[in-house]
Amino acid sequence: MIRIFITASALALAISGFAAAEAQHAGHDDAHDHGGEALAPSLHSDIEAALAQGGSLVVAEVNGMVCDFCATAMTKTFGRRDEVGAVHVDLDTKTLQLVVHEGRALDDATIADLVTRSGYETVAIRRGTGA
Amino acid sequence: MRTFALAAACALIGAAADARPVSYEGGWTAIGERDRESTSLLTHYTPHHEWSVGYRAEWMRESDILFNGLQATHLVKRWFAPDSQGNLYAYAGAGIAEGIDDNPTDAGAAGFLGVMADWETRRWFVSYEARVSDMGAGADAMQAARVGVAPYVGDFGDLHTWLMLEVDQRPERDEPVTITPLVRFFKGPVLLELGYTPADDEPFASLIYRF
Repeated sequence: MIRIFITASALALAISGFAAAEAQHAGHDDAHDHGGEALAPSLHSDIEAALAQGGSLVVAEVNGMVCDFCATAMTKTFGRRDEVGAVHVDLDTKTLQLVVHEGRALDDATIADLVTRSGYETVAIRRGTGA
Repeated sequence: MRTFALAAACALIGAAADARPVSYEGGWTAIGERDRESTSLLTHYTPHHEWSVGYRAEWMRESDILFNGLQATHLVKRWFAPDSQGNLYAYAGAGIAEGIDDNPTDAGAAGFLGVMADWETRRWFVSYEARVSDMGAGADAMQAARVGVAPYVGDFGDLHTWLMLEVDQRPERDEPVTITPLVRFFKGPVLLELGYTPADDEPFASLIYRF
């Protein structure tokens, strides 16, 4: 049993090193700041693709998002809304990025309610060029 | 790699650390855990962001008692901050416990009550849990505390790795207090933990899948 744990630990450390190196060099260098300051969100490729099709951008600052379960909750909750063309969570900037389909609307109160139903707290919502 | 696969398979048939006991509204979660005392499985549904209800099966391996029942978990309070989250949960379960294999204990009512608290950032994690129960073999109690650190911080969708240490106290056991070092792997909706309790020579494994 000791061998199982040692093997798992060694694997974890090896993966840690690989993943840390990958994170530094694989495209989110500009977004990583672990000192706690909010950063300007860089748009995920899914968001950019949906915007190219004519949707409108909404960015919500959300408190409490610290892990992939938090992000999964957001993407599942917003992803099943007909108004939403794309959704992405950026843990570095603590933002939820949404693209609302052209000709559809998703008001701030509904977004805040959906964030609450996901288990989190909305700080601010920005739209369009202000996002 | 084969050893890792075997340990992962062990987690799959194991059952329930009650980490992440309440999900988003409409979400389902399956939690399997094998600790030094029992093997359990909890599958829960979250109808409201402050509640989950689910089915729990737990096999107390030493006493050969099998519990089957329902568990309800309430998110009593969540503290939000831009870089951290804290939670306080209370949970209760009720069902039927019976002896299996060579244990002649007849089926009877059983249940448990517990509290959990945790606080985490993307770098640090601490938690505490206490539970009292009567699973058909008399009153029992346990408490456990855990600390963890992530050696690197990834974004959503990256593979996250945590190194953790858990201390638990189970007064009825031959070894009442033990320490379990463990490693947590976390990616998207899947969380896998593998560890080992030297004092009892028992492996620890936990698998959580959220959908």
